[in-house]
Amino acid sequence: MFFASASRALGDGNMTADPGSASNPSEPYISPTNGLGSWIWEEKVSDNQTCRLWTTFEIPEASKVVKARLVMTTDNEFTLYLDGREVGHGAEWRELFVFDLIWLLAPGKHVLAVDCFNGSFFAGMLLGLQIDLADGRIIQVKSDSSWRVVPNGLSRWETRTEVPADWPAATIKAPLGGSPWWTQPANVNIMPTLQPIKVFFWQTGWFQITLLSICAVVILISFRLMAQLAIHRKERWLLRQERARIAREIHDDIGSRMTQLVLHGEVAQSGLPENSEIQQQLVQLCEEARRLLATMDEILWAVNPRRDTLRDFTAYVCKYAEDFFRPTQIQCFFEVDSEISTAAFDLPLRRSLLMAIKETLNNAVKHSGASELRLQIHWQGQRLVVVVQDNGKGFDPAVVKSERNGLTNMAQRMGELGGLCLVTSQPGKGCRVEFRVPLKHPQQHFWNWFWNAKQLPEQISETRASRADDSPQNHDPTK
Amino acid sequence: MTPPSDKTTKTAKRLIKVALVEDQPKVRESWTKLINSFPDFTCIVGCATGEEAVRVIPQQQPDVVLMDIFLPRMSGIECTVRLKELLPNTQIVILTAMDDQELVFLALEAGADGYLLKRTKPSDLRKALLDVLGGGGPMSSQIARRVIESFRQRAKIRDESVHLSVREEQILVLLSQGYSNKMIADKLALSIDTVCSHLKHAFNKLHVRSRTEAVVRYMASKTPQQKPGA
Repeated sequence: MFFASASRALGDGNMTADPGSASNPSEPYISPTNGLGSWIWEEKVSDNQTCRLWTTFEIPEASKVVKARLVMTTDNEFTLYLDGREVGHGAEWRELFVFDLIWLLAPGKHVLAVDCFNGSFFAGMLLGLQIDLADGRIIQVKSDSSWRVVPNGLSRWETRTEVPADWPAATIKAPLGGSPWWTQPANVNIMPTLQPIKVFFWQTGWFQITLLSICAVVILISFRLMAQLAIHRKERWLLRQERARIAREIHDDIGSRMTQLVLHGEVAQSGLPENSEIQQQLVQLCEEARRLLATMDEILWAVNPRRDTLRDFTAYVCKYAEDFFRPTQIQCFFEVDSEISTAAFDLPLRRSLLMAIKETLNNAVKHSGASELRLQIHWQGQRLVVVVQDNGKGFDPAVVKSERNGLTNMAQRMGELGGLCLVTSQPGKGCRVEFRVPLKHPQQHFWNWFWNAKQLPEQISETRASRADDSPQNHDPTK
Repeated sequence: MTPPSDKTTKTAKRLIKVALVEDQPKVRESWTKLINSFPDFTCIVGCATGEEAVRVIPQQQPDVVLMDIFLPRMSGIECTVRLKELLPNTQIVILTAMDDQELVFLALEAGADGYLLKRTKPSDLRKALLDVLGGGGPMSSQIARRVIESFRQRAKIRDESVHLSVREEQILVLLSQGYSNKMIADKLALSIDTVCSHLKHAFNKLHVRSRTEAVVRYMASKTPQQKPGA
């Protein structure tokens, strides 16, 4: 087997040297010059000249190529193109270069283009292509005067399938075997067989366009979502600010003034004779004001954004239960997770949960007749679980109409929050009410710190703003 | 500063001396009247600001200081820290308008011995003051929980300078679970006084810690302390 020293591997990566394919090198080589045309060139020959030659041929429709062998050489160098694709290169006029084109030829029009270079003196290009079709027909393309010379300065000429009529025809310099060239080649180089360029689906234009448009759409959507998120956060921040303001006003203005009222009332009443009508009225007035203040405590707690954590919720619920059961026979015990901490617990959720718990405690006092009540608050995965269990007389859930004791109401309230309310009871065995609400566990998201780090500057400025607002008003509610 | 009431001069030795820190003159006046109306209490001094309190109260050596939590500039909590340094044996009771457990914990942590809602009935007020003086300051389950949490957090960052004894922690845990002092005493076979004294110790440890912390914080910033919660 012979490989031309001057031939080079081509850059498209799909070229394979496959000696076992259609052109079997072991096939006896009768005459490599069979089917060759004449030496052709541009009319004028000069040293260091580039000559570009071009021709087309056609393979009939519905025919199958069984063999396609191209033999050529050039004095001094050539680069061969088929349909614009570089097929091979040669630089020895004494030798022949054989290309197997079977994989590259399908029915239809094809373009052969040769970029030739002459170093000095004589110049010529010799070529013969023989295509055997399955039905026995043979197509031959030879170098002859039907080839066209490509004018200088044109780009992508090797891909042209049509050319203007004014491109000059090639000139025959000598027939095969004519002077000054050889009659028998010094060597025959079998060039590597080229495979058709496989175009994978991801290399096709439409696929890439689709991909790019999908990317663009995704980027646009993410920008939109980011913008929405930013607006949402801003809104939440404004809401917190507003809540902080309301809380401050309730506390500073209404709260302190009401407290003063109670105080003045007490002082006024102490100066009056015991059990006089006015004194009694003042006592009632103070009592009413105290009740009002207690109600305001709850509103303030709910409104104040600084009390939005789970710890504050726990604190409030436990304090409420303590105060609630103090005048009753029921002893209340707490089981609260020690890790319950500063996890955020937003207003709608905690308010509804508080209402439900209050309702449960109320039921216990009214109906259970229990001596002990346990209030548990703990985490269960991504849920907060609150259990209220008493040792009272219990009831049969099937018998007690749920509308009457507010069980339906509680279940519905929990359902709206994506939570759950489970009531289990048996006559004589107490009652157990379990609330489950979805709540993000603060330690289970590692990216939380990142998010929090981003929010920190906001929180600081928020604190500053509220501090700046605080100072003057806080101490002069009479203003 | 309001002039000491005329009662002081006559029977000061038998009466419990109360100092008042409250920024609004009318309210201060009402409180003074109210306290003086109790047979065993006398209000010896009233201050309008924390700064004034730190300057004036130590000379008067009162038994109890009633401290409003919101004061202009130096907050009631900051003032408590400073006064407790100057007068370790004086009981400081924080007055709040609103019942906010978080604030109350902050005050107790800062060294206050008890807290009272401003709207407390006069009859209950006297009892509550006597309770504080007797060493049985108020302690809800939530505050007990916060005290435990505070010490545990401290243990996490390996600060072993102050920690609770096993007994103190045991009592605090029971308290946080809703047991009353009496029930704890029964459960642990102790006297109520022992339980109270353990609690007192636990609180003193909390004060010692937070006082140094607060002073360091104060020295470092030299700016008025942030007002705790609205």
